[in-house]
Amino acid sequence: MRMTFPHMGNVWVGVKGMAEKLGVECVVPPPTSQRTLSLGVKYSPETACLPFKLTLGNMIEALECGADTIAVLGQYGPCRFGYYPKVQELILRDLGYKFVMVRESMGVINMIRYLTNRASPREVLSGFRLGLAKLKTLDNVEQLVYKMRAIERDKGMATRIYRDATTAIVSAKDHKALKRAEQEHLKKLTQLPTVASPEPPLKIGVTGEFFVVIDPFANMDVEIELGKLGVEVQRPQSVWELVRFNPLLSVLKLREKEKSIRAAKPYLTQHVGGDGRQTIGEKVLHASNWDGLVHLQPFGCLPEIMARNIMPSTKETMPVLSIIYDEHTGRAGMLNRLEAFVDMIQRRKRRQAEACV
Amino acid sequence: MIKVGIPRALLYYQYYPMWKTFFEELGAEVVVSPPTTQAILSSGSSRVVADTCLPVKVFFGHVLALAEECDYLFVPAIRSVKSKIYNCSKFLGLPDMTKAVTPESPPILDIDIDINQGKRELYQAIYKLGRRFTWNPLKVRQAAIAAWQAHLKYLQLMSDQGLNPPQAIEGISNTTEVEPEKPPDNSTPPQVTIALVGHPYLLYDEHVSHRLIHRLEKAHYKVFTPEMLTAEELKSATVRLVGGAYWTYEEEVVGAGGHYLESGTDGVIGIMAFGCGPDSLMMDVVYRRAARLGTTPFMRLTLEEHTAEAGVVTRLEAFLDMIQRKKRRQAEACV
Repeated sequence: MRMTFPHMGNVWVGVKGMAEKLGVECVVPPPTSQRTLSLGVKYSPETACLPFKLTLGNMIEALECGADTIAVLGQYGPCRFGYYPKVQELILRDLGYKFVMVRESMGVINMIRYLTNRASPREVLSGFRLGLAKLKTLDNVEQLVYKMRAIERDKGMATRIYRDATTAIVSAKDHKALKRAEQEHLKKLTQLPTVASPEPPLKIGVTGEFFVVIDPFANMDVEIELGKLGVEVQRPQSVWELVRFNPLLSVLKLREKEKSIRAAKPYLTQHVGGDGRQTIGEKVLHASNWDGLVHLQPFGCLPEIMARNIMPSTKETMPVLSIIYDEHTGRAGMLNRLEAFVDMIQRRKRRQAEACV
Repeated sequence: MIKVGIPRALLYYQYYPMWKTFFEELGAEVVVSPPTTQAILSSGSSRVVADTCLPVKVFFGHVLALAEECDYLFVPAIRSVKSKIYNCSKFLGLPDMTKAVTPESPPILDIDIDINQGKRELYQAIYKLGRRFTWNPLKVRQAAIAAWQAHLKYLQLMSDQGLNPPQAIEGISNTTEVEPEKPPDNSTPPQVTIALVGHPYLLYDEHVSHRLIHRLEKAHYKVFTPEMLTAEELKSATVRLVGGAYWTYEEEVVGAGGHYLESGTDGVIGIMAFGCGPDSLMMDVVYRRAARLGTTPFMRLTLEEHTAEAGVVTRLEAFLDMIQRKKRRQAEACV
């Protein structure tokens, strides 16, 4: 069995770590590229959303690389995401590929047992621990990268260190090596030369549909571009945030997700699938401590359309820029809009500061 | 008398007799918005973000049309009517979205229908809705039972007499029995049958669908719609195609599409709305089944606010011509 899975941000780092530890042969799909997108667009229904097209492209490229088992997650819920596997399987079969699709519908435990060749629970657990540790380390580095991108003197250095860190984390074989890689790169980041600026950098939140928020190809490196504009990105959603298990915080409902859902309650009482409720919640929750919000959404995303319809009516106000992604989104257009947005916030801040004096 | 407004959009076509009976039993007057017009559609789409799907834009047009006409507006949130099968996001957040985008609308009567929460929650939801009219739980109960009876009668009327929802609704509101117009089917040679699959709020909204059903019937085609199939037929076809429904109103697209493709109709037309998330994938499933079978012609018709009538008519004509040609060739081959 040669297992594969579609890309979503840096999930592959964790999954690869897990699979290596468990001795499962794992084909990581080639990094998402223009070719992936073209393949996905070619074979997808035209109004399917961007994540559908990208993940389909990933699957095709992985199958070309010799994978024969595709693991996908499709949970029940109102968003299209849960329906992906059914249609993607049909499309791939029509294209003549031979493969086994392992879905969540067979039960998570069965799925893990199948994929790991019935490894003992202890082995599975240790594999999971390493995979999760990798995701956590990556998340830690990423958080610092957001800060440094805004204030570094030589633009692009933090991003370069982040790439090195990813490579080091992927190749780390055990927890010790992981720790070493983390410390080394965090240290490098803190030692970056910074610009001497009298004002603290703007804080802009990035939120929206999970896939486009965490996948740098899908969102055209929106975080890097914001960093170049001297903005400190705040991103509450991450793969680590999604998978981490913290009993205390979960019981007290104090995780970011639950906090934002509570905050959205006056405006949207119902779960609308995907991250629609959280998007509204982030706006409400951080109206006082963020300077603006960049809201990312694939074209036609049902929950985010709900969020965009409801967001303007919240009492808590904050500038919001919605960027909608599909295969026709141009990078230059996005950059222009980001620049204008950041300029607008800066002017606003300056005016407010003058008014206070 | 309290006036309750019901927008003639979205789930109106599925549940109107039930809702009407419920509110009338509780002593309210029911006001329905007029049939969709271009003005209604434009006013609705001016309120929501551009990539909202067509039926929701139509819905808000109807909400605005009713804003002055009633004391309360009925906007239910139908979350789930079958275990583990949920509705699309737009339906789930409909009351909240109505409050956000049409702040001038009268107070909203909302009800959460979610079968997964258990019967107790369902009854409480119904009671909570009834509480706005009466304190007496028995009266609410009576109204709910009457409403359910009306719904069953409505379903029966459609499946027994082969009526479509607008005809059936008319049949129920006019107390006199209306005889459905029988087309002279005995005089003409074997009729060509066309099945339309899609959500009722697209098929039966004459403005949105550009009077597709009328056009077909006028040209002497026999039109089949998803309502004419039994629940079992819909379910078994859905299971064959995708292994079971994922969305609440999936069977009327995937189930009906699958059934009609396999049951020997002469052509199937899939009607979908641009920007509809579920439709974009479900229609693809039907399309792939049609391509695999290779026996029944299938056409996908995507409707949106910019869809021109002439475009729809041209595509329809081409599709029907193709079917006629195919039929003629088959007839010749048999001779």
